[in-house]
Parts: sequence; C-alpha cells; structure tokens
Amino acid sequence: MKEKKTNWPVMVLLLLGLSTIAFPLYMTVIIAFKKPSEMTNSISGILSLPKSWSLDNFAEAMRVTDFWHSISYSLLITIITVVLSIALHSLMGYVLGRTKAKSKFYNFIYLFIVSGMFVPFAILMMPLAKQTAEMGIANWFGVILLYVVFYMPMNVLLYTGYLVNIPFALEEAARVDGSSTWRTYWKIIFPIMKPMHATVAVLTALAVWNDVMTPLVIMAGSNKNTLPLAQLNFQTQFGANYNLAFASYLLSMIPILIFYLVCQKQILNGVTNGAVK
Amino acid sequence: MKNERKRTYLMISLPILALFICFNTIPLIRGVYYSFTNFKGFGSYDWVGFRNYADLFTDTRVLKSYLFTFKLAVFTTIIVNVISLILAMALNSSIRFKSFFRGAYFLPNVLGALVVGYIFNYFFTYILPAFAQMVGIEALSGSILSKEGLAWIGIMIVCAWQAIAMNTIIYISGLQTVPEDVYEAGGLDGATGWNQFRHLTLPLIMPFVTINLVLCGKNFLMVFDQIMALTKGGPAQSTESISYLIYNNGMSGGQFGFQSANAVVFFIVIVAISVAQMKFSSKKEEQL
Amino acid sequence: MKGKILKCLFLSAACVFAGISLQSCGSKDTSVTEIEIVQYKPEAASYFKQVEEEFNATHNNIHLTIQSPNDASTILRTRFIREDYPDIIGIGGDINYSYYMDAGILADISDYQGLQYINQAYLDIDEGLKIIPTEGVFAVPYVANAAGILYNREIFEEYNWQVPETWDELIGLCETMKAEGVLPFEFGFKDTWTCLAPWNSLAVGLAPADTAKQVNAGSTTFSVEYRETAEKYMQLMKYGPTDPCAFNYNDACTAFARGESAMYTIGSYAVPQILSINPDMKIGSFTMPANNVKEENPLNSGIDLQFCVMADCKNKEAAYEVLDFLLADENIQKYIDAQTAIPCKVGEFQLAEVLDGMEEDIVNGNMKDYQDHYYPSEMAVDAQLQTFVIRQDVGAFLEKFDKDWLRYNRDIIYKVQKYEEGLK
Repeated sequence: MKEKKTNWPVMVLLLLGLSTIAFPLYMTVIIAFKKPSEMTNSISGILSLPKSWSLDNFAEAMRVTDFWHSISYSLLITIITVVLSIALHSLMGYVLGRTKAKSKFYNFIYLFIVSGMFVPFAILMMPLAKQTAEMGIANWFGVILLYVVFYMPMNVLLYTGYLVNIPFALEEAARVDGSSTWRTYWKIIFPIMKPMHATVAVLTALAVWNDVMTPLVIMAGSNKNTLPLAQLNFQTQFGANYNLAFASYLLSMIPILIFYLVCQKQILNGVTNGAVK
Repeated sequence: MKNERKRTYLMISLPILALFICFNTIPLIRGVYYSFTNFKGFGSYDWVGFRNYADLFTDTRVLKSYLFTFKLAVFTTIIVNVISLILAMALNSSIRFKSFFRGAYFLPNVLGALVVGYIFNYFFTYILPAFAQMVGIEALSGSILSKEGLAWIGIMIVCAWQAIAMNTIIYISGLQTVPEDVYEAGGLDGATGWNQFRHLTLPLIMPFVTINLVLCGKNFLMVFDQIMALTKGGPAQSTESISYLIYNNGMSGGQFGFQSANAVVFFIVIVAISVAQMKFSSKKEEQL
Repeated sequence: MKGKILKCLFLSAACVFAGISLQSCGSKDTSVTEIEIVQYKPEAASYFKQVEEEFNATHNNIHLTIQSPNDASTILRTRFIREDYPDIIGIGGDINYSYYMDAGILADISDYQGLQYINQAYLDIDEGLKIIPTEGVFAVPYVANAAGILYNREIFEEYNWQVPETWDELIGLCETMKAEGVLPFEFGFKDTWTCLAPWNSLAVGLAPADTAKQVNAGSTTFSVEYRETAEKYMQLMKYGPTDPCAFNYNDACTAFARGESAMYTIGSYAVPQILSINPDMKIGSFTMPANNVKEENPLNSGIDLQFCVMADCKNKEAAYEVLDFLLADENIQKYIDAQTAIPCKVGEFQLAEVLDGMEEDIVNGNMKDYQDHYYPSEMAVDAQLQTFVIRQDVGAFLEKFDKDWLRYNRDIIYKVQKYEEGLK
C-alpha cells in the first residue's frame, strides 16, 4: 500500500467536532472531584476547577458501590455474554445469511428473530421474572441467557448483513477438500468475520455493561449487585449525590473504553489481512 | 454433500431458535395474555376482554405519545445517520492519531444516563440561555426543555449525541469491506469526491445503511433513558414517549394490563414499519 | 490468535466466577426462624444494617435480614409476581399500600401489641387509605414526613420578618419580599413530582381529607372541592422564578441552599439534600397557611415508612418480635436523627431543629395526609399540575382532573359502588 498524505482539512474538522465531547467530559471530570458544597447553579461556579484534586470521592464511591465485588460481577456477566454472543449469533447469522435468500423457511426464521428486537422490554419483564424463577435460574446465569436472547436480533442482523459481502466460493474451495460444513465454518468463515466479531463484541459489551433493568428484575432479592445496580445508590427518592456518582461513572467507564480500543484494532486488522476481496 | 450442509444448518439453527422462543416468544405470549386482563402486576385480576384495546384507541395521551415518538425517531434517525456516515469516512481517511480520535468519539456512548442527564440539563437550563442572551437570540433565552414546542429538540440532540458513536462503529466496519482497489479503479475513471461516494462507496455499504436505519429506528422508537434523564415526560406531558408510558404506568403504576395492550400494539406497528423499510431498502440495494 | 483471545476470556471468566461462588457458599441453621425485611428507603440503608446487626447479636432464635435495595418498588413487584414474598415489607403510606392491601397480600396485625403506642392520627391515616372499609389493621406506621414551607432563617432575621400564620399574611410577606428584591419562593417543577408539594400542603387546608373517596362514591367532584386550592396555587406561582418548569429539584435545592430565595415549598425530606450543599445553613419550617384562620391550617404530614407483615409470613410471632425491636425508642430516635423524620410512635422524642415550626401541630395531632396518596400514579397528577403551571387555566385543569379521575379509577369506583350497594 502506498503511504498516503495526511488529510489536514478532515483533521481540523475532527478537532472541532471533538469540542462537543470535550466539554461534557470536562464537566464530568471536575464534578467528580468537587465536594457537594462546591456545587452551584452559576455558570462560572460550575465550570471552575475543584478546590483540591483529592481522590476522596473516588475512594468513597468505591466503598459505597462495593466496587471490587460489583465490578467482578459485572465483568463475569459481560464477558460470558460476549463470548456466547459471538459464538452463537455468528453461527445463526451464518446459517441465515446463507439460506434466507433461497429458503422461505429460513427467511421466516430470520424475520421472526429480527422482529424480536421490537418487543418492548417492559412487556417481557414480569413474565420473565416469573419464568426464570420457575426454572430456577433467577441468578447471573439466567441474566446471561436473557442477554444472549435479547441481543440476538441485533447481532443476527449485523452478521447476516456482513455475510453478504463474503463470497460463497471461499467455502466451496474448502469443501472440495472434503471438509464438513461445520469445520469449514470455523476454519474459513469465522476468522473472516473478525471485524464483525469486534463490532458485535463492542455493541453487546456496552449494552450489557450499562444495563440496569435485567439484573434488577431477574436477580431481585439476591444480595449481588452489578456495577450499574450498585450505582443506583447515588440517587434516592429525595436527593442525589452527583459528585460521588460522577466519580463512580468515570471509574466504570475505564474497562469498557479499554475493551473498545482493543476491539477497534481488530476491526481494522481484519481488512489489512486481505481476507475480504 | 448438499444434505450434509442442510443437516448442519438445521442442527445449528434449531437449538438457537428454541432458546430464542423460550425467552422471547413465550414471555411475549404471556404478556399478550395479560393485555386482556386488568392485572396490576400483583394480586388477583379479572379477564376484561378487549376493553384495554378499546381504551387504547380513545386515549389521547397514548395517541400523543405515538405522535411524539415517531416525530423524534424520524428526525433523529436521519440526523444520526448523516453525521455518523460522514464521521466514519473522516475517521477512516488518512489522518493522524486515528486511535485517539476513534476513542474520543466513542466516549458519549459510555457515559451513564445519570451523567449525561445532569450535564445536558445543566447545559440547556443555564449555559445555552446565557449564551443566547449574550448573542441576543430572544427565542433561546429560556431553557428549551421547559418549552412545549422545543423540548423534543433537546431530547433529539442528546439522543443523537449518544447514538452517533454506535452508528459510526458500524459504518467504519462497513467501510472496511470496501476493497482499496475499487477506489483505485474508480480513480482511473475520474470518479472523485461526491461522485466516488455516490457511485462506489454507497452501493457497497448499503447493507450497513440498512442495518443502521433499522437499529436507529428501533432505538429511538423505544426511547426511554433520555426522556427520564432530561424531561420525565414534561413540560406539560409533551415528551411522553411510548416506552415511557409503558414503563411508568405499567411497571411503576397500576396499569400493567392496559400498558401490556399498548406494548402489543406498539410491537405490531414497529414490525409493520420495519418490514416495509427493509423491503424498501433491499429494493434500493438492488437498484444501486 | 482468535483462539487465544477466547481462551483468555474463558479463563478470566472462570476465575471471576470461582471467586464469586466461593463467597456465596454458606451454611444455614434450620432451627432458627428466618425473618426477611425489604424496605424501600435506600438512604436509610446504614441505619437498617445497624439494626440488623444489633438484633442478631441479641436474638438466638430469630435471624433477621434487612434488605434496602435501590428501586425497591420494582423489586417488590417482581418478587410478588414470583410469589416469593418477604416476611415484612417497609413501604410508604401511599396508593401502593392501598393496592397491596386490596390485593390481599398483607396480613391483619390487629393483635399486635405495639400498635397501642402508635399516634392515633397516623393509624387514622392508614384507615383512610383503605379502598373499601375492611376489618383489620395492616401496617405499623414507623416514621412520617411533613410538607409545608422551609425558610432561610438568616434572611428572615436580616429583614426582621415574622413567620406568617394566615394566607393574607403569607401573600403580604411575599409582596414585601418582592419589594425588597428578594425572591420569595424557589420551585423545581421540571421534576414534576415537586409540583405536588405546594399542592398537597394547600389542599389539606382547603379540601376535605377524604375528597378522593367522596368523588369515588359519586357525592362530589374535584371541580368543586379543588377550585380554591387551584386558585391559591396559581397565586403562589407569582412569587416564584419566572420559568419554574425550567429548573429541577436539584437546581431548586441548590438555589435555596445558596440563599437565592427566602422560602421553598417542599417537605422535610429535602433537608438532607439542602444541607449537603450548604452544611451551615439555618433552615426553619412552618405549616402552609392555606386559610385565614390559623386554627384551620392543618400540617400536611403522611406516613413515610411503615411496616407490613405479609399474609404469607410463616411465623407471625417472630415478625412481631422484630417489629418490637424496630419500635424501641432508641432505635426510632436514631432513625429520625439521621433522616430528619417525625416518629409515628407516641413518646419523648427529640425532633430535628428544622421542624421547630411544625412541632406544635405534630404534638397536637393537627395533621392531615397528603392528598396525592390517593392519586393513582399512572394518572400523573404531577404532570397535570405542571401543565397547569404552564397554561394557567384553572377551569381546564379541574375539568381534566375530573375526567381523568374517572378513567384511571374505573376499577376502584366500580368496587366502591358495588360495596355501597351491598350495604343497602
């Protein structure tokens, strides 16, 4: 590939656009360091730097949310969900992507699953709370199963969309060598879909990481908290401690941000490998 | 050979389908059942037939929430897709500090609803009016979130601000599927700038445009978090979205049965729309 | 490459899981009665943690667990639908309590001895919350809150203003404040629920306490009973910020704490939030003077937290023992100190200084429940009040109130009318 020149006009525009993100981020950071008594309604007051850059808020936020326990719980749920989603949804996406154009049956399944995306969660909530309890999975395992089902429509949509650009000829070649469909999938197709795996991983992880309702409803009554559940602590009926909340949200942003940056590399690598042609 | 493939397809899809039916379709059917009762969410309940559905079509509050939700969804979907496609191409072009920019533009998505709500509330209540007064724009000298006609724009801005990151990622991964040599070939034919985009890039990433339209449409039709964070349905009940009503009145209030009916109707409406949308864009894909 | 990443992910997931499951393993002794309380005030979690520890340290036969979850109402509802009932629930004295009682999931505790120490005014409030007259007592009122007007003592002292005792005095005071360039009231109506605070405290003085019940029985309308309340409510708006719906509860608390207004029409529950912003602030309070006769102005007070034993509870005796412990004077005192609350138990309690101006009415039992405890939340009276503040049309507001009431209370009205027919 040729070395290209830096596109400076685009750089300038991107830098300008960045201000829409820098400003809210600046506010988040300074509020996370301030004390409640430093909060005012005046603009100069809110934009001023905190009196001291002490980490007290962060320490207190970690204590209130029982940080290490809740974050390991969140990590457990998020990681398993992402792994299962990549494995199951890509398989389903593959089957549907290869068949839905020709087979009425698979096309129906495709539409059936994708339309699941539009079921308002509120209508499923109560029946699911009951059902998971009856099945004895009103715990983290049930939550993961539900996530795998909830994000299936979106991920199947993404995978089938991606598969359109992967020529069938690639599989044929392997199959001529006597490889089964199952093996061909894992050997040829699965690695090719790497950019999509990374995209799916980011979208799913982000949705799971921030979700409150599912664990709240399914694990109600158990003493286990995911991080977003624990963060509800900062808001009570008659008051909110924004300073602690902001500190806590900043902390919980870090793992998902790192995960995104790692995945972002995968999205790019997939192409430079020259797999898709 | 062919049979082996077919069998594998079935063996893969049936278990996954079973899982889906178990945790999506079956609870949905139970929900549909509740929509024919006056169930509050606890205690005993009576079968009320189609009363909830009859009420639904005469309830002006529900009607208003449909109008508001669709208005918001249509405008936000368009804005988000235009901006994120441009952003994706910018982030995909030859620039320096690519990772930094990509990371930074992803941030809005990671900030929790409480933080986003607080900051934008502050922005709309204090900063924007002060700025407008300084510049002398009379219309914006008060908080736009407290004006019935303008509050939805505030919600639109926040929805777009958060959603652009997500759609940009999908567009970026879509742009990766466009092989470099397509541009090189196009360059020989003299296709540059807008023409290159219109005739080379866009057709190739059309599946991703469809995906993004569907996902955006879905997310904004089901808008809830941003409403809770910014207006809680106000001012004067002008920003009550459908999901807001379903959740607030069904889950927190005592209207579980009625709001289940609302959810069922809402589900049917969106499925109808998205099937039409997919039909439309798949035709577009073929044309291009 | 991918395989390695997957392996790493699996491994780390397994480690995290192992860590968590090891922790959750614990043995349970079956000879001890388990009592579980779920209470809905997460802000009091540390108090209840302490009570739980003290109780378990002194009782061998009962093991108490108190949960103070965030978003308890959702948790309670999910547990009810699973029929996984706690033994005791701690909830507010509002329409949810009426619904739960009506659904028959609460136990009759009229044989509980501790009831005799509860202030009769609060027992009456609970009695009033029954949808149709039902034999029995279903809750032990624990603590109450009160709403009226909070004021900035320093500003009042600076100008030498007196606490108003009648409606005319209040309006006169507001005019004086305006003339002096002091903003009389702060409102945070962007959070719609705060619209109800001045509404409730006016309505207790101007409308019958059982207005909602009378309407359900078909003997009156809100247009009749609430007209004066609505008119006076509109009058108060003149003394607030120009665009009251632009600011939320937090903005209003911050502004009041910073001395930007002299008064704030809100309940005692807002005091901790205000003090968190300005810990040195001297806050006073007084009953909303809705009438021109001082004696006709009751304090707006309702049950903030009460305990209900569930019908499903296996061991009522043990539950009563837990209630006895919770109702011990020193525990109640600890609670009201921490939460600026008002005890529902009769006795010598030290009230927070902020409540000085309301103490007389509390001691005399001159209190009436929040009218909104009768409003179904899905009717969104708070949002209707916000609309009223924006449109300022008394007639339209009352008309809609009456119309929506019939729509949202259809099942209740049907039940009440059927009950009345049964009496004839």
